[in-house]
Amino acid sequence: MEFGFSAAEQAFADEVRAFLRDNPLDRFPLDGMDAGYGSGAHSRAFMKALGERGWISMCWPESFGGRAEPMFFKLVLFEELALAGAPFGPLAGSWQTADAIIDYGTERLRREVLPAIARGEATFWQGYSEPDAGSDLLALKTEARRDDDHYVIRGHKIWSSHAGIATHGLVFTRTSREARRSRGFSMFVVPNGTPGMDIRPIRSLTGGVYHYEVFLDDVRVPVELMLGPEGEGFQALLNGLDSDRFWGRFYKAPALERVLRRLVDHANATGASADAGLRRRLAAMAAELAALRVLFYRAACLLRDGAPITYETAVAKIYADETGQKLARLGMDLLGPWAPLRPGSHEARVDGEISHAYLTSLGHTIAGGTAEVLRTTVAVRGLGLPAEPRKA
Amino acid sequence: MDFRPSSAQQLLVSTAREFLKKHCPPERAQQIALDSRGFDETLWGRMAELGWQGLLIPPDLGGSGGSLLDVIVLVEEMGRASTPGPFVPSAVVATALLLAAGSADHKKRLLPAMATGETIVSVALDDAGNTLVLDARGRLRGRALFVESAHVAHALIVAADAGDDRRVVLLPADRRGVERRPLDAIGPEKLFEVACDGVSVVAEEWLEPATARRVALQAGALARTAEMVGAAQRVLELAVEHAKTRVQGGRPIGGHQAIQHACADLVRDVDASRGLLYAAAWRASEGAAPAADVAMAKAYASEACLAVARRGHQIFGAIGYCEEHPLHLLHKRILAASVDCGDLATHLEQIARAIGLRA
Repeated sequence: MEFGFSAAEQAFADEVRAFLRDNPLDRFPLDGMDAGYGSGAHSRAFMKALGERGWISMCWPESFGGRAEPMFFKLVLFEELALAGAPFGPLAGSWQTADAIIDYGTERLRREVLPAIARGEATFWQGYSEPDAGSDLLALKTEARRDDDHYVIRGHKIWSSHAGIATHGLVFTRTSREARRSRGFSMFVVPNGTPGMDIRPIRSLTGGVYHYEVFLDDVRVPVELMLGPEGEGFQALLNGLDSDRFWGRFYKAPALERVLRRLVDHANATGASADAGLRRRLAAMAAELAALRVLFYRAACLLRDGAPITYETAVAKIYADETGQKLARLGMDLLGPWAPLRPGSHEARVDGEISHAYLTSLGHTIAGGTAEVLRTTVAVRGLGLPAEPRKA
Repeated sequence: MDFRPSSAQQLLVSTAREFLKKHCPPERAQQIALDSRGFDETLWGRMAELGWQGLLIPPDLGGSGGSLLDVIVLVEEMGRASTPGPFVPSAVVATALLLAAGSADHKKRLLPAMATGETIVSVALDDAGNTLVLDARGRLRGRALFVESAHVAHALIVAADAGDDRRVVLLPADRRGVERRPLDAIGPEKLFEVACDGVSVVAEEWLEPATARRVALQAGALARTAEMVGAAQRVLELAVEHAKTRVQGGRPIGGHQAIQHACADLVRDVDASRGLLYAAAWRASEGAAPAADVAMAKAYASEACLAVARRGHQIFGAIGYCEEHPLHLLHKRILAASVDCGDLATHLEQIARAIGLRA
């Protein structure tokens, strides 16, 4: 056992901190909402700044333009950015798409899309969910029909984060009708603006726009933009979900730690810190955040070592989202009558950040696999309990 | 970063699991727990033959010079098997304390005999209920509470007020004026009040108080956390096994989401508790554990492992309510460990200060 960071990891953390010192965050315009996951708002300018430093592609193999740094460098970058509250919203999605392209992308994707990801220019929305395919993803209806050297996609995607401001969609489609329910799916990398694609914003309960729905009306996509082998999309997606849960939540612990620090400062400033009950709740929350971090680092070690993952990322995701909700709730309690004030409101405390965190956190136990679906995954895949019978 | 135990630690764990399965099966653990004396000399002697009591003790004093982390993985197995006895007070807390704050003479006199299991030392460092005062003439009066296994201890380490100072003294358990009165707890732990009526103490029996308390609290809190993690791990295993095999309405109860989700929460609580424990114990073994790390590990496990035990009862249903079922013993072990070496409120306050909350 060994729980420290290597000298190289610490040196990289210093480098990221120096960058954050030299580049105050208010220099980077924001172009998409912060949905509270811990990766901050969507900022093209910030993504480009990360790209200029070579940080987006740092872990890619040298033959793909990377520096082949160890995976833990990505964790270090996430930690430092999240602790600072930086707007790196699309980064996890960019990394995952890049990894898929490096693993099994076509020449064209490697030539055209990968360098744009490295520069921080290409960002992605996920076209997975549909109006009638939420937790039951396999119920999806969007179809891609082969037409010579193109596929023609027709369907309706929904809950796609940042779809209106990203550059490409990862569109999950049915490419053939097969006997087995989980076969016959394929993934496409579809550039935004392709004729036939209609992207419409969905205003959320925060008043802002994070999700979009996307109508695909005979969208023609070249065969070379298929990601992975035809018909094997679901297995690729499933493998991706394990790491999706990890990469899409890893930064939550440091991000919540930043919020907790702000609550501690606020409690000290108002004198609420003398209240015994509140002290205990804040202290217990600090211990929970430490526990959350440990769950993610354990999953990180498994991913790094290529060890099998059955339930570890699912447990970590559930815990990240439920702990985030608990912290937001604690923050609202601490602020009392000030709690409902919005960011930017006259008299808002803690910059109105807590009311926003409270609202956005409601979606976290739903997005990317509901807490209920994931608990079932933990029990069935992790503990070997019998699966509930389901219709074929 | 690496969460895997070393090969030596893996060997220690597998040996311990086999040994405890054979020499301390659930029925035996039950028997000893329900017995009012509750001490199994044979088991204690066999453990010493394996070198367990000497694990923390350096080779020149008769031990094997293991790390605190090694001891933690061993104690976790004892928690898992509900192993009774004074291992934590004597072989962890008193041993770590003597190593850090004892004189050369204390160490030479006690540690080799503690390593062989011949000498048992218990500790009375909890402030709760402690009224002990050491006067200027070296007389100890008052009482300490919650002293585990005092009845089988050959020596006691007790904290006392001495005017402006706080003293920690080491004295033979049978010194004139020392009386050990049993407290009747719901769990397997054998707790005592140690009352002192003018017990004479000489300066050679003083231990360096600040170091003694810090080290004892750290080692003790980690060991108690390890017991909780081990016991909670066992509850998880038993509950999952029960959920797979208990059939109602024609299907195993574990096929229902209500039970599945409860089991998923057990995994989270056990995994997170263990992760925090190992990280804190590793830092302590490296000599660098901030007090808050240990406090977080213990505070977290106190809540999480107790939740495991309570949820375990719900999964087991009526059978878990019986004395012959192992669940209650595991549950009571967690309860006992959660309040020893700093209860939840104590550790939360430590964390509150560490995260910068002003009083």
